[in-house]
Amino acid sequence: MNLIMQQLPIVIRSLNAGFVQTLKLFLVTLVGAVPLGLIISFGSMSRFKPLSAFTKTVVWIVRGTPLMIQLLIIYYFPGLVLGNAIWGGGESGRFMAAAVAFIFNYACYFSEIYRGGIQSVPIGQQEAGLVLGMTRTQIFFRVTLLQMIKRIVPPMSNEIITLVKDTSLARIIALQEVIWAGQAFMKGSQGISGAIWPLFFTAVYYLVFIGILTIALGRLEQKLNYFQ
Amino acid sequence: MIFSLQMCFTLVEWQRNEDKEENIMKKLLALMLTGVMVLSMAGCGSSSSTETTTETEETTDEEEAEVEEETEEVEEAEEAEEAADADSDLAYVQEKGTLVVGITDFEPMDYKDEDGNWIGFDADMATAFAESLGVAVEFVEIDWDNKILELDGKTIDCVWNGMTLTDEVMSAMDCSNAYSSNSQVVVLAADVAEDYADVESLADLSFAVESGSAGEAAAEDNGLSYTSVSNQANALMEVAAGTSDAAIIDLLMAEAMVGEGTSYEDLTTGVVLVDEEYGVGFRQGSDLVEMLNEFFAESYADGSMVEIATTYGIENSIIAQ
Repeated sequence: MNLIMQQLPIVIRSLNAGFVQTLKLFLVTLVGAVPLGLIISFGSMSRFKPLSAFTKTVVWIVRGTPLMIQLLIIYYFPGLVLGNAIWGGGESGRFMAAAVAFIFNYACYFSEIYRGGIQSVPIGQQEAGLVLGMTRTQIFFRVTLLQMIKRIVPPMSNEIITLVKDTSLARIIALQEVIWAGQAFMKGSQGISGAIWPLFFTAVYYLVFIGILTIALGRLEQKLNYFQ
Repeated sequence: MIFSLQMCFTLVEWQRNEDKEENIMKKLLALMLTGVMVLSMAGCGSSSSTETTTETEETTDEEEAEVEEETEEVEEAEEAEEAADADSDLAYVQEKGTLVVGITDFEPMDYKDEDGNWIGFDADMATAFAESLGVAVEFVEIDWDNKILELDGKTIDCVWNGMTLTDEVMSAMDCSNAYSSNSQVVVLAADVAEDYADVESLADLSFAVESGSAGEAAAEDNGLSYTSVSNQANALMEVAAGTSDAAIIDLLMAEAMVGEGTSYEDLTTGVVLVDEEYGVGFRQGSDLVEMLNEFFAESYADGSMVEIATTYGIENSIIAQ
């Protein structure tokens, strides 16, 4: 116990630095994937068959392969096959590669949630809009969009919470997020070696952050509870 | 992002209004939309490639007639460059101005001081070597399992982290001369250590070893029953948790991690199974190997290598160059 108390300040500092990376990756992914998902969902709902077929194939590939493999491909493929390591070896390059992999992966999942949300709005509302002489864009923004947002909040909350924990996969390309930071003390880092507890302690970080997220997303859901 | 979103809406709208008309327009728009998607995918990736940017600038500045010639020239120049890269790793490293060294946090070879700078025997030697090449040094922590991927993918230029020269390592990389010796040692609970003082007695135990490590090779050679885990620390955790009877790890690491005053006070080191040597790994065919061997010979001759080793207490392990 005494030993743990001695180690605590060093471990907390290191885990904090790791969790900042986790949070950064989480936020960047969210900001990138939410709009990109909408674009992809339009692609897969397009009436132009080749486009929707192409988009659906891409979504199938991205959802059908492990994110860990996608991370490895996106980070190492340029250097291994094209002979030009575009990401570089440094920390920022690893972060960018991870961000691209996460944004694209999550955008594909989000796109299917959006599609479900858009298609769950009764078609009669669109027909009514057309009869009133509204354009498709007007119908989307003034009739469909708000109802869609309200409906997708619960499934999106699910994905967002999963995303927080999935960020730990980025350690495969040596992005030093919180689990990497915790594990470093098992092997030996900053004078502490063979300490097992920091790895398990990282769970507290996730738990607290997801607690906050759950409350925030719950509030959002209540706010959107207008037309019922 | 907002712009491209807006564009998409407009495109979708047009596409739908044009429903009953001939669909050439429709196809064109859909293709554009696809283009936007592809670009948004590729856009993030290409930003750091400066070569491409200069090329594009050159071509847009020229008259159309000259464009072809220009592209040919650029292609030729690129080919020549590539050939030079393939021939000379030294030229490649000097051109970018940094030697990127792949490491893990591994006392006393590579570890961080209180200010967060990388120190250790390997780190100090790598810094000195980069200096002799006239380039800066950059240390990058890697996942040890992916060291060959990192090297071949050019995300690092060498692996310099107390790497045991095993057959697997030697076949995948071009390695420097050995610069330090090490052993693989059995780690087990202190209270039963006396019963397992020779190699024969080890047959009764179950072992945990790092996958792909020299310890795993030692276990295999001695016909021991073992489980492979992801790293040496996990192997020790297995022993501490009682899920394995013993582990086989590096002597240098074992001395730092088990015994009095560590987190593994109940564990101790036992039989030494195999002696081994540390070397530095480079890409296959790299001319940096030759440079490093010369550098090792020089720094051994002038005493600076032993001096650095003394700082980190491993002067007895250094191999004469």
